[in-house]
Amino acid sequence: MERSEFDVVIIGGGHNALTCAAYLGKAGVDVCILEGRHEWGGAVYTAEHTAPGFCHNIHSNFMEFLHIMPFFEDFDLPSLGARTIFPEAQAGMPFADGRPPVIIYRNDMIERTCKNFAVYSQHDADTWRALKTQANNLEPLFAMGLYTPPALIDFNGPLPNPHEGTMMMMKMFGLDPELAFKSIRDCIDELFETDEIRAMFYRVAVEFCGPPIEWPGTGGLFLFSCLIMPGCWRMMVGGSHRLNGAMVTACLKNGVTMREASRVKKVILEGGKAVGVETVDGHKYMARQAVVSGIGLKDTFLDLVGETHLSDYAQRRIKNYKDGPDQVLGSVAMALHEAPHYKSAAHDPDVDKAWYQIVGYDCAKDVLDYNRAGHIDRIPDLPAAGVWINSIWDKTQAPDGKHNLTGWYFFPRASALNEAQWDDVKATYNARFLSLYEKFAPNMTPSNVIADYLHTPLDQERGMRMREGDFGHGAMSIDQLVGMRPYAGAGRYSTEIPGLYLCGSCTHPGGGVTAAPGYNAFKILCEDFGYPEVWRSNTRPY
Amino acid sequence: MGMFENGFDAIVIGAGHNGMSLAAYLAKSGWSVAVLERRTEEGGGLNTEEVTEPNFLHNLHSNYHSLVGLSPVYDDLELLDNGVDYVLPDVQMGSIFADGTALTIHTDMRKTYDSFARFSKKDADTWMRLWDEVGGYMDLMVRTLMFAPPIKLNDLTRALASWGVEERSEFLTARLRSISVADFLDKHFENDRIKAMLAFHAAICAYQPHIKGLAVTLPVLLGKIANWHLCKGGSHRLAHALMRVIVKAGGRVFPQVPVEEIVVENGQAVGVRTPDGFIRAHKLVASSVDVNQTFEKLLKREHVADSTAAAVAEVQYQDATLFNVHLAMNGLPRYKAASFDPDIERAWILNIGFESLADFKDEFDRIRTGQLPASPRLNVAVNSLYDPTDAPEGKATGLIRVFAPFGLADGGPEAWRGAAKDFGRRCVERWASVCTNMNDDLIRMWVAETPYDISQKIINYRFGDWMVGRIHPKSLLEHRPTDELAQYRTPIKGLYMCGASQHPHGYITFAPGYNCLGIIADDYGMDKWWQHI
Repeated sequence: MERSEFDVVIIGGGHNALTCAAYLGKAGVDVCILEGRHEWGGAVYTAEHTAPGFCHNIHSNFMEFLHIMPFFEDFDLPSLGARTIFPEAQAGMPFADGRPPVIIYRNDMIERTCKNFAVYSQHDADTWRALKTQANNLEPLFAMGLYTPPALIDFNGPLPNPHEGTMMMMKMFGLDPELAFKSIRDCIDELFETDEIRAMFYRVAVEFCGPPIEWPGTGGLFLFSCLIMPGCWRMMVGGSHRLNGAMVTACLKNGVTMREASRVKKVILEGGKAVGVETVDGHKYMARQAVVSGIGLKDTFLDLVGETHLSDYAQRRIKNYKDGPDQVLGSVAMALHEAPHYKSAAHDPDVDKAWYQIVGYDCAKDVLDYNRAGHIDRIPDLPAAGVWINSIWDKTQAPDGKHNLTGWYFFPRASALNEAQWDDVKATYNARFLSLYEKFAPNMTPSNVIADYLHTPLDQERGMRMREGDFGHGAMSIDQLVGMRPYAGAGRYSTEIPGLYLCGSCTHPGGGVTAAPGYNAFKILCEDFGYPEVWRSNTRPY
Repeated sequence: MGMFENGFDAIVIGAGHNGMSLAAYLAKSGWSVAVLERRTEEGGGLNTEEVTEPNFLHNLHSNYHSLVGLSPVYDDLELLDNGVDYVLPDVQMGSIFADGTALTIHTDMRKTYDSFARFSKKDADTWMRLWDEVGGYMDLMVRTLMFAPPIKLNDLTRALASWGVEERSEFLTARLRSISVADFLDKHFENDRIKAMLAFHAAICAYQPHIKGLAVTLPVLLGKIANWHLCKGGSHRLAHALMRVIVKAGGRVFPQVPVEEIVVENGQAVGVRTPDGFIRAHKLVASSVDVNQTFEKLLKREHVADSTAAAVAEVQYQDATLFNVHLAMNGLPRYKAASFDPDIERAWILNIGFESLADFKDEFDRIRTGQLPASPRLNVAVNSLYDPTDAPEGKATGLIRVFAPFGLADGGPEAWRGAAKDFGRRCVERWASVCTNMNDDLIRMWVAETPYDISQKIINYRFGDWMVGRIHPKSLLEHRPTDELAQYRTPIKGLYMCGASQHPHGYITFAPGYNCLGIIADDYGMDKWWQHI
C-alpha cells in the first residue's frame, strides 16, 4: 500500500530536487520526491540516441561546479559512483585553413593557455595570466555566492543597485568598474586583441545560456562565463547520468521515498496553504510541513497552483518571467568510427584532445553572426557547433574503438519555428554541419558517421519541460538573477503561498548543474522548520 | 576511487532483474553487495527509452510481466511498495483474421469462452475444462518447475505417474514430453483459429509450436494466459524499484563499470577486474550474464576445464529472434474487425497474421533460411490502452514485433542496417491493413530496432536471443545451460550463475536469481528469511 503522508513532498526529480531531498533525508525529515518522467535527474541525462553502446549527454555535459558543490562532498558522491575526469585541454578552436588552434587549459595550467595564446598575441597571454590567476583566487568567494541564499530585496527600503556587486567584482579583478555596465562582447574586445581568441570567447560566453553577449549591462557575466568557468569543466565517467545515479543512491541511503513516473497535476491548498499534491493517476501525497517544487516557475504556479490563488503582483511577475534567452540548445549526437583529426593539429596536437571542440567558425565575426541568428528567430546559416568526444577519455561511453560525439548548436527558442520547420532542421542540419566539419577535420566524412541524431529546442521543451527549450529554466539575464530570480518576492525560495517552496533552476543561481538552488532551498527550510542544519561543514563557510 | 577499495561480500555481474534480485536478497540478509553493470542504465531488458519522441515511452525489450502474483520475489522484496504499479488489462490478447473476424482472451474467462464459442462451441468447452484443470495444479507446477532448482525430466514424469495424475487429468500425461505444442493443440482442439491463438501465446513466450517435447510445460504457460501485466510508466520502473531495495538494504548498483575478468586464485573466485582496478569479493561472485561471456570472456581459459569449455561452446541459442518497430501515434488504432468483436480494440496484445498452426511452421521454417516475408506476421501491443501515461495526453505508443532471423541470408546480422527501413515499413503497412485509421495522420513517427541492434545493446542477448538460450527440451531443466552448470554452482569455488542462461530461462520470472539464492544460502549457511515455495 502506497504511503500518502510525509513531512515534505518534493515535485520533480531533477538534480536540484534530488539535492534538496538528500539533505532533508539526512536531517531526518520524512520526505517523498515525485518525478514525472520515467528517469531521475532531469537534464542530468545520458541516452543511446544514435546506436547501441554510444552514450550521449544530450543536455548537461560540462560539470563545472563539482569541485565546489557541497552535495558532492557531503555525501561523498564519488563513492556512490560519480567519478570524474578532468581533461587538460578544456576547450579548443581549430580553423579550416589549418592555422594554429586556440586552446584553453585547466585552471591549474594557466601557463599552458598563455603559451597557446602567445602564438597569436603576447598581450592576450599576459591578460589571461592576470585575469585567470585572479579568477582562481576568487573562486571561494564565487562559491559562497552560489551556495548562499540571496538577501531578500525589500523595495520599501533603499532600492538596490543590481550592478553594485558586479562593480566590486570588476575592481577585485583589477578591471575598471565601468565594465559592469558594458556588454560581454565589449569586455572581450577591450581585453583581448586577437580575432581568433575573441572568437573563442564569443562562443564560450554563450555556453551557459545567458543573454545576448552584445547587450549592455552583462559585463558581470563576462567574468563568470569567460574567466571563471573555462578551466573547471569536468566529465562524468560513464556519462552525466551517473551523477544522477549517485544522487539517487544518496537519497535512498538517507531514507527518501522516491517515485518516478508520478507526474504531479496539482498542488493541494487548504486555507491558502500548500498541504500536498495530487498526481495524474489520482494519488495524493500529503505534506505535513512543506511542498517544495523543483520544476519550472510557470509550471508550478500557473499549472499546479492556479492563478486564482495568486496575488496580482505574483501573477504579473510570473507571467512576465522570461523563459528562453534568445538562443537555446540544439544537441547533435553522432556515433563515429574515428575521433576527428583537425588540420590545426599540425601546429598543436592538443586540439585533437581538447574536451570541448568548437568547430565551424573561421573568425570572430562568424561567431557573432551565429549568435545573432537566434535573436532574430533564425537558424544560423553557418552550421557550427561545440562538440565533445567523451570516449577519447572514457572508453565506457562507446563500443570498443568507436567514439561518441555530442555537441551543441545554438538555435532560436522553440516557439520561433513550427513543428514542421523543426522536423526539417532535424532532418537536414546535421548533414550540413558534417560537410562544414570536413573542412576543419578531413576525416569527418559521411562514412565516418555510423548514425546521428539531433535534439531540437522543441524536443527539450517537450521532454524536459523546459519552456522554449531554455535549459536554464528562465533567462539568466541581470533582471532575473540573484535576489530577483525568479522575482523579488520569491527570491529566497519561499513563496507567497505558505508551505510552498521553490528549489529549481528558476531560483538563484539559476540553471547549470550547480545543485545550488536545491542546497539553498534546504537552508531556508532549516530556518523555517528548525530542521538540523546538516549542511554546515568545517571545510567551508557556506 | 574510494568506492571499491574495501571490496564486498558478494559481487554480482550484470544489473538485469535476475542479478539485481539476487543482490537485493543478499543485501537484505546483511551482506555487503555490489552489482556491476557495463551499460549506462541498470535493468538489462527492463529497458524503457524515448526512442521516437520525448514523452513517448517505449519498452525496448521486456514488455509483458506474466509472473506477477506467482513469483515470490515481488512479495519478498516488497517491490509493489517500492513504486512498481501494475495494470492487468482486462482484454489480454486477441487475434485479427483476414476475413474480418477476431478472437479475444479476457481476464474474465466467461468472456473468453464466449469469444471462442463463436468459432467452436466444442473448443470453447474444451478450453474451459483445460483452464479449470490447470488452475488446480498451477501453483504446484510453478513451484516445482520454476522456483526450485531444475529437476530431471525423467523424475518429473515418474512423479506424475506415481501421483496418478494421468488417471485424474484430461490434459496432463507423461506423453507430453515427446510431443509439440502444435501436437497438443491438434489433439484437443478442432478450430484452426483457436489453435492459432493458443499457439501464438506460446510462441511469444518463445515456445516454438513445432518443437517436439515442449508440450510438457505447456500447462504452466496456459495457466498464465490471463496474467499478463503491464508495468505502468515503463518496464524500467521495475529496475528502479529493485535498485531502491538494494540501496536501502545497504547494497550498491554501479552502472558503467564493465567487468573485464573474474579473478580466480587457487580455484576460488576472489573478485573481478574492471577499468577501475581489482575489486575483491570476500565471499562470492555471481554472474548474471550469459554462460558464454562468463566462461569464454570473463574467466581466463586456464581456469576452465576442457570439458566445461567444450560444453559451453555447444550452448544453443534461439534461431528466431525479434524485429521491433516502435511507433509514436496521435491516438489509438481502430480496427475493421471491431464490427465483429468490439473488444478487439481493447486487446493489449494482438496476433495479426497467424491463422493456423501451419502458419507457424511456415514462419519458423522460413526464418531458418534467413529470408524476410513480403507480408510479415505481427504481434502488436498498444500499452497506452492501459497506461495512458506512457505517451502525451491523447497520444499513444505502439509496438510491433515480428519473429525474425538474427542473420539475413544475404549479408548476415549487419545486413539488417540496410534492410531495417524497408522491412519496418512493411510491418507498419501490415498493421495498417487491418485498421480503419492508421495513416500518416495517426502515425507521427516510427523507429525500427533490428535483431542486430538488440544484440549490440544487450550483449547478453546473444544472437538477439531474449531468452538467453533456446527453449528446447535439450536446453531446459537439468540441461540448462549445460549439465554441469545447471545447479547454479560452477566448478570454480565461489562463482555462481544467476542469470537467464540458467533454469528456467529468460523473462521476468526472477527465478534464476531466486533459485541461485537458495543454492548460495545452502552453501553459506544463511538463514532463509524469504518464502520457500
